[in-house]
Amino acid sequence: MVGKKSLTSRFSSYFIDWIHTFKGQLTLVCLVGLCLIPLVVQDAYNLGIFVWFMVLAIFAASWDFLAGFVGQVSFGHAIFLGLGGYVTAYLVRYGIPYLDWDDGLWYHTGPLPWWVSLFTGAIIAVVMGLIIGVPALRLRGPYLALGTLAMSLILYQVFLMGTLADWWEATFGTKLFGSNGVTLIGNPISTNPIIEYFIILLIMCISFIALIQITKSKAGTLFKAIRDDETGTRASGINVTKYKVIAFMISGFFAGLAGGLFAMHFRGVNPGVYQPLYSFYAIIVAALGGIATISGAGLGAFIFVFIGELINTITSIFSGVAPNLVYFSLLTFSIILICFIRFFEHGILNWALEHLKDAWDFLLGR
Amino acid sequence: MIILIEDITAVLVYGSIQGCIYALLALGFSLVYGVGGVLNQAHGALYLVTAYLYYTFYTIFHEISAELDFVGMMIGMIVGLIAVAFVAAFIYLALIKPLKQSHVGVVIVTFAFAFFMEQLINVIFGVEYQSVPFLIDGYFYIFSIPVYYHYVLIIIATVIIVILTMLFINRTKLGKSIRAVAQDEEAASLMGINVDRILTYTLVISGVLAGVAAILYVPIDVITPHAGWAILLNSFAIVVLGGLGSLSGSVVGAFIYAYAITFTNIFIDPILSAIIPFIVIIVMLIVRPRGIFGKKEIK
Repeated sequence: MVGKKSLTSRFSSYFIDWIHTFKGQLTLVCLVGLCLIPLVVQDAYNLGIFVWFMVLAIFAASWDFLAGFVGQVSFGHAIFLGLGGYVTAYLVRYGIPYLDWDDGLWYHTGPLPWWVSLFTGAIIAVVMGLIIGVPALRLRGPYLALGTLAMSLILYQVFLMGTLADWWEATFGTKLFGSNGVTLIGNPISTNPIIEYFIILLIMCISFIALIQITKSKAGTLFKAIRDDETGTRASGINVTKYKVIAFMISGFFAGLAGGLFAMHFRGVNPGVYQPLYSFYAIIVAALGGIATISGAGLGAFIFVFIGELINTITSIFSGVAPNLVYFSLLTFSIILICFIRFFEHGILNWALEHLKDAWDFLLGR
Repeated sequence: MIILIEDITAVLVYGSIQGCIYALLALGFSLVYGVGGVLNQAHGALYLVTAYLYYTFYTIFHEISAELDFVGMMIGMIVGLIAVAFVAAFIYLALIKPLKQSHVGVVIVTFAFAFFMEQLINVIFGVEYQSVPFLIDGYFYIFSIPVYYHYVLIIIATVIIVILTMLFINRTKLGKSIRAVAQDEEAASLMGINVDRILTYTLVISGVLAGVAAILYVPIDVITPHAGWAILLNSFAIVVLGGLGSLSGSVVGAFIYAYAITFTNIFIDPILSAIIPFIVIIVMLIVRPRGIFGKKEIK
């Protein structure tokens, strides 16, 4: 008789159950820790590092959802990041273009609020997920990976193209294509970096909760069934095509959201966001944390961003001695990355959970 | 539009040169995928190892005396090829072998290795462009298109190496075990074939092929630390075109790809030549995912 209970009481009983589990308590500790960060760190630069970590976490989680739970490995996830970022940046800077029938010229509505732009960007990424999902259904395994990689490279070249940039500028009077991309001057999420930090933290939490709940829902079971045995799932009378496209759209939505936040945070986008590098960031971060664990993406992003930042800080101390040291920082970073991937085969999250559980039980006196 | 005979010659000459280089690169890439099922992201890094060693030995001997250029190049060639063989063996034994169970793990670890190699070269050589002169100087004209003797060398060397590789795979006993592993790893190991050793050899062959491509191509192109990514992408594209794991397919695919690029470059628009290959890949993947010469079954 679950249906008779109200939604709030169902949620609260679920929440109380969850809080009694080890994972729930650990998550809560991490969340409280993240909420307390602004007490220690207040300047925009250092909070920016945390914001970049959270954006990367959302992006990697969206990849992990598609690859870990639906089994569709994409090497071109930067498509969604780039599209979300471009749409958000364009709307924040110029607004929606419309045609004035009187003089046949294009005008813009003017800057839109950031949250409208952010969600429009994510919706456009969903549409792109639909467009990619349909041909991707024919492809499996490495072929899908290569197809998405090629698609991201096409978008990279298209957005870089000078002739297209000239045509767009002549027609619409705004800059969208070209090597500079769209730079943002006005309309930040908030002038106060601490408020910006909390807004993005909230968006990250909602994204993670949504993604985890999707994987636990009925559709999530079907996604896992498709991942484990596609032919068997099809034989059980399930419309595999439909669910694959839905998975692409869900993943696209969150990656687009990450792209919008990326554009807002870095004050602009350029064609570089379509580079395979960003797609591989998502894969590396998700694999660091552990594939098929959405929250692993959060841990992976944390490690990825902060190891890089730690090495940067150390090298900047010694930069007076050797100016060439900036490459050494990247070199060290890549060596650490190789070691992590090589020795934590199933991700750091699973390893950490096993070892932390004993310590946790000891602390609570169980 | 008037089509000039010079333009057609240019497409043929430059397309053939590019095709030869791509054929060597894609052959190795495809071999590793076909035998081990490994998408080796560090393929461009292997190219860089030889390219930079070749450059180093050339500069060392060039600084001693300009007459020693040829000696330096020869030593660079030998050291570069031996080094790339060791690096390839290292990649397999230390990085790919422990992670072989997960495809994503292999992809990421080899990607991280390629990134490491780029940074290592950044530290040692800096980000600047480097170049090496032709092995043989001089040129002749075909319809007012200069054809350097080096181009002829590339074509001859590629033909010989591709034929040797094919003979090695199809005629020798070791080649037979490589084919056996490609067909069925488990059955091959039951027949007493050391699968790990065969896969190490495969990666070494692929590395040496990439090294030869580097030695031939460095004098035409320039080398930069990030050149590895373009090499990797082109190999990817060609292997998709020719069929993943098909050796003859990757050679034919390399030439189709190279002619398509040079044709677009000369007759249409150089800007488009960056996009056309990827459009070819996507159309190919949708129309015929296994490539021109790909095997019928797709995992």
